Amino acid sequence: MTSWGLIVKNLFRRKLRTFLTVFAIFIAFLIFGVLSAFQKTLTEPPQGPSATRLVVTNKVNFTQPLPISYVERVKAVKNAGIVSHMSWFGGYYQEPRNFVVSFGVDPETYVAIYSELALSDAEKQAFIKDRTGMLVGKKLADMYGWKVGDTVPLKSSIFRQKDGSDAWDFKVSGIFTNTEEENGDQYVVFHYDYFNESRSFGRDAIGQIVVQTRDPAQNDATAREIDEMFVNSGAETETRTEAAFAASFAAQLGDIGFIVTAVVGAAFVTILLIAGNTMMLTVRERTGEIAVLKTIGFTARRIFAMILTESFILALLGGLLGVGFAYVALGLLGGMGGGFLGAVKLTPSILITAFILMALLGFLTGFLPAWRAMRTDIITAFARK
Amino acid sequence: MALLSQIGAVTSMNIASLRQRVWPSLATVVAVALVTGVLLGFLSLANGFRATLDGTGSDDVAIVIRKGGGGELSSVLGREQQQLIAEGPGIAKGADGKPLVSGELYIVVNGVRRSNGIKANMPLRGVGPNAEAVRGAIKIVEGRMFTPGVAEIVVGKGVHEQFEGFDVGATVRLSGTDWKIVGMFDAGGSAFESELWADVTLLQSVANRGSSVQTMRVKLTSPDQLKALQDYNDADPRLKLDVRSEKAFYASQARGISDIVLYLGWPLAIAMSFGALAGALNTMYASVDARMRETATLRAIGFGGLPAFVGTMAEALLLSAIGGIVGAVGVYFLFDGLSASTLGAGFAQVVFSLKMTPALVIQGVILALIIGFVGGFFPALRAARAPLLAAFKAT
Repeated sequence: MTSWGLIVKNLFRRKLRTFLTVFAIFIAFLIFGVLSAFQKTLTEPPQGPSATRLVVTNKVNFTQPLPISYVERVKAVKNAGIVSHMSWFGGYYQEPRNFVVSFGVDPETYVAIYSELALSDAEKQAFIKDRTGMLVGKKLADMYGWKVGDTVPLKSSIFRQKDGSDAWDFKVSGIFTNTEEENGDQYVVFHYDYFNESRSFGRDAIGQIVVQTRDPAQNDATAREIDEMFVNSGAETETRTEAAFAASFAAQLGDIGFIVTAVVGAAFVTILLIAGNTMMLTVRERTGEIAVLKTIGFTARRIFAMILTESFILALLGGLLGVGFAYVALGLLGGMGGGFLGAVKLTPSILITAFILMALLGFLTGFLPAWRAMRTDIITAFARK
Repeated sequence: MALLSQIGAVTSMNIASLRQRVWPSLATVVAVALVTGVLLGFLSLANGFRATLDGTGSDDVAIVIRKGGGGELSSVLGREQQQLIAEGPGIAKGADGKPLVSGELYIVVNGVRRSNGIKANMPLRGVGPNAEAVRGAIKIVEGRMFTPGVAEIVVGKGVHEQFEGFDVGATVRLSGTDWKIVGMFDAGGSAFESELWADVTLLQSVANRGSSVQTMRVKLTSPDQLKALQDYNDADPRLKLDVRSEKAFYASQARGISDIVLYLGWPLAIAMSFGALAGALNTMYASVDARMRETATLRAIGFGGLPAFVGTMAEALLLSAIGGIVGAVGVYFLFDGLSASTLGAGFAQVVFSLKMTPALVIQGVILALIIGFVGGFFPALRAARAPLLAAFKAT
């Protein structure tokens, strides 16, 4: 019988024990996969255009407004290509619980900067021309059944019209999907001017300025240049990339990294103990057999390798199942999180880490038992019987 | 009686023999301890957050905000509305005979968190002269209160713990103005301790808010006057605002986040329990198998199956109970009272402390005992059914 045959036979000799050990490892890798994917999405800046666009916000906090006059001054910066701006509307549809992520924007520059929004040229033109026009993300449009040409009243939880009403009527000019981000189509944008002129307070203030730079490699210098321009003015600014802005937002929820590391760490120490313990038990039980194998000529090294292989197989089996299930579970959870979470996925780097952990687990749980098996003394082993 | 003494004898044999299986037993204890620890970590997080918000606000203070969703941050009350509310019924009067109301601004500013150097939203509250009288439980513990009309700030205790650069005597720059920190206040562990307070009139001009405020706090003569004030508000078309008891307002804010933590904590702990259960089963089966001859011998000399069953169960439950207690004690020493902060419903950080309670410890130990029970049950069955022949078989 080959070593390999013996290993397989050994693994399935105590089916229940093998099953339980693999199950424990499976759970640990499932937890690892799901939590790491969430951590990645929440804390790592996305790639794509948002990594190179700059956002200028009020330094006090991004909820504080900037004067609209800043837009022209930012345009004068040498590296500034297209400059646009957006303002938070705090919108909802019919009921306050039907919260709609909504911004007043400068239409022409907005569609020029956000090239990842898939829109036909006709829709773009219609939006730019119609003062009450609004672009709607496909997911939102599907949710509320809005179609191009519909007039949709949106209420604001912050602003009022001069006549005291809190509803603005918008006409749907186009429906977009986001080619960069799976869930990046759950908001609406409309003309800032239409909203600005009719609101009863906060006039001529904007939320943030978005800058598409000519040379993204110069972004750091450009950001500094913009911020220095407004030092000691009434509204000092803070400029960073859109991606960094998004990441800083998630960081506010709490120390996600610490929580994930702590939970995954606890799960792996648990599994290390369980799997290591099982391997120890297994080898102890087989002391007699190992002595027999040695007697019939198996080298110590071969026995060492066999035991270690067994623990590697256990780790790999449980690990692959766990990561596989994490993949399925994340697919099922995909719809959750609304527009605030991007797609939660297992990235290559998570998979690589998972394989490293499997190898580590196999080695750590197998080494000591394998060492012990290798050192089994034939005489004492038989004497014990 | 004979049965009881048999049970006692087998149980003590089981427990005594633990010494021969120190490492496997210890592995089980630690695995159970870690599972309990993870569960209790999350529960104490949720519990601490809830305790802070539940302890914020009182029944005899009404909070007035704009209707239409959102909290303090998106609310706006004009001057006329402020005056109308102050004329409302059921409002307590101050020493000067004027109604005890406080119009307040709620602005979000950046602070740098001590733990990881990340910028986070902090609430800067502009308060009027009545703010302390309306709330009651505000105590200056260091320095003094700000002087109205001067760019001075007092900081909550929680702010000072969690954020950098808010020591009394320091200066912070907000909205192009340098504010001097002149005092620190204690608000009885409530969410107000996560806030910075400044003079509302000065903040209105710095933040270009004119004479508008965002919320009004109203001291009621008694909690049941709330209804009268609500009716008064609903009857006046110029008002139509949202009038709620401050306590209810904060309690509703607590729900969302502590629910998320619970929904995260329990599934994780349960998933991990299955892992630990697998470990416990392995250990216990091994323990039963190792003693198979001994058990069968006992059966042969007249012991029943039940004592063998109980003995194994007792061993499993003892191991898991130790694990549960170790986990709970560990969490208590590592995390209890630990200060943390998260983004609250007001779009700003709420500072709170992780809080363990006996009720949580009981939940953790119950989870541990369930692992022990299931992990012991099946191996115990095997022990109880030990075939008599096993006594004579060579191992």
